[in-house]
Amino acid sequence: MSYSLSTLWHERNRFLPGILAVAFSALLIVVQGGLLLGIFSMFAMPIDRSAADLWVAYPGTRSVDLGLPIPLAWQARLARQPEVERIEPYVHGTVLWGKRGSAVESCSVIGSRLNGEALGAVRDLTPELRSRLREPGAIVVDESELEDLGIKGVGDVAEVEGYRVRVVGLVRGLKGIAGAYIFCSLTTARALLRLRQDEVTFLLARCRNPDDARAVVDRLRAYETMSAFTSHELSLRSQLQWLTKTKAGIAMGCAVLLGLIVGAAVTSQTLYAATAAARREYAVLEALGIPTWRTCALVLTQSFWVGLFGIGLALPACLGAAQIIGALGARILIPTWLLGCAAALTMVVALLSGLVSLRSLHLAQPVALLR
Amino acid sequence: MDAKPTVSGLNLTRIFGSGMIKTMALRQASLDLYPGEMALIKGPSGSGKSTLLAALSGLLRPDSGQVMLLGENLWQLSERDRKRFRLLHCGFIFQGYNLFPALTARQQLEMVLRWGMGTSRRRARLQAEEMLQLLGLGGKMHLRPGQLSGGEQQRVAIGRALVKGATVCFADEPTGALDWGHGQQVIELLRAAAHQSGSTILVVGHDARIIPFADRVFHMEDGCLSELASAPGRLLRNVS
Repeated sequence: MSYSLSTLWHERNRFLPGILAVAFSALLIVVQGGLLLGIFSMFAMPIDRSAADLWVAYPGTRSVDLGLPIPLAWQARLARQPEVERIEPYVHGTVLWGKRGSAVESCSVIGSRLNGEALGAVRDLTPELRSRLREPGAIVVDESELEDLGIKGVGDVAEVEGYRVRVVGLVRGLKGIAGAYIFCSLTTARALLRLRQDEVTFLLARCRNPDDARAVVDRLRAYETMSAFTSHELSLRSQLQWLTKTKAGIAMGCAVLLGLIVGAAVTSQTLYAATAAARREYAVLEALGIPTWRTCALVLTQSFWVGLFGIGLALPACLGAAQIIGALGARILIPTWLLGCAAALTMVVALLSGLVSLRSLHLAQPVALLR
Repeated sequence: MDAKPTVSGLNLTRIFGSGMIKTMALRQASLDLYPGEMALIKGPSGSGKSTLLAALSGLLRPDSGQVMLLGENLWQLSERDRKRFRLLHCGFIFQGYNLFPALTARQQLEMVLRWGMGTSRRRARLQAEEMLQLLGLGGKMHLRPGQLSGGEQQRVAIGRALVKGATVCFADEPTGALDWGHGQQVIELLRAAAHQSGSTILVVGHDARIIPFADRVFHMEDGCLSELASAPGRLLRNVS
């Protein structure tokens, strides 16, 4: 076992606050980031749960929920692309839900084809639900939205923009962030959004080879009167639109910064105290002529181990926190890159804390050992 | 004496403070120490013994005077070269043992060899074990300081000072924290190190019981150094 690791183990009570501080920082970053990703993935849910490879929209469309009507006739432009296999109309817009005896609620209407291989229908709609949605005015909502929408359950009716709708089924896990999602047929969606039969808000397409989507989109961008995106692009664009619009990124940045500051403060104090406590031993090494960089390396290696153990402690804590948060009904996403970023950031903080604690080595003066 | 001195201090002066609270810790102190001898500087607390040791060992710059260590003018070296010189030639023993609490007795010595002399891990382990055997700690080399007695800890500290083959070893009150039984063992070990390896050992202390073991004895009072005419240790050595 290395000298630094031996010291860390032997004086584990001394180093524990530093390890816990690093773990706390990492946990805070992952949970904050995961919650934010979870929230913003809700904006991109219609895209991420569709089977389309590319999306065509009104010029300059910034988010999937901000689409404006485009002519259905643009299908011909897509049809001319040899890589495209299938094209489908898609309607996505915002309506006001008439709540019984109270204020109105803003909702997102998603109208798509309903056959088994439909590109726009979210994959959570079962064949039975799709069959029921073919009826005019039939809608499906997430079960968690029932209370907000003022409806009791399947079979209940409501009024949307003066149009009578009936709930024919419920789904789970498709809760909207800005308002409930209303899943329906293209016909119902057009009626709710007052679109003409020759209008849609998006045209979806699937390529024979999904890898060709990028090239098709690049080609379609030659049309100045329309926008074209790969699914991934539009998903990211939708999430970034809300990230910047709501300034949530700044809020998250502040929370992460706070966590890092707390982590850095506790870790550097812990390492400083540990180094200062060993100043007499370091002073002997100094007297014996041991190069100072060796002592510095020992302190920095200790900070590395503090960082590593803190990250190791944070990992199961993050997964546990994600389980709890998920069970409470909030959406949290913890991709590997987020864990990697949190680990890298907290390791940098631990090493910087080690660097800061090196200042205590000036206390290691051999002459101070003489009586 | 025909041999050249390994440690030579000439007219060393050191003043602490200024104005009314000025203290003259060293007043023109001079001494020559030779290979293979253990010298003792005794005197009351505050007489300047430790200041002299610090000046002679390159830890505290004197205000005036000259220190020649193994023929090198110590205080004309750069800070870096002086540290390098200490690494190659000097050992230190302090009253507090100052051992790393987390490391075993063997690791305390290995650390000096590996970090200071660049000795390989395997070689450092062998050398450390040999030194600890010599110091009578063969069965305790795997123990940490907290598991050793004060005398054993000081013996580990002696091992740490000598393991790299120090030509000159400075010991400040090495028996100060020990009962006389353990203190005597420590002094005998230092004396043996001087006589067997030809090192120069300079011990600073005020314990009169050390005097019989020293080859030369100096007395320090108010910064002034004087050598006692004859030291019992020298007589003992001549007899043996």
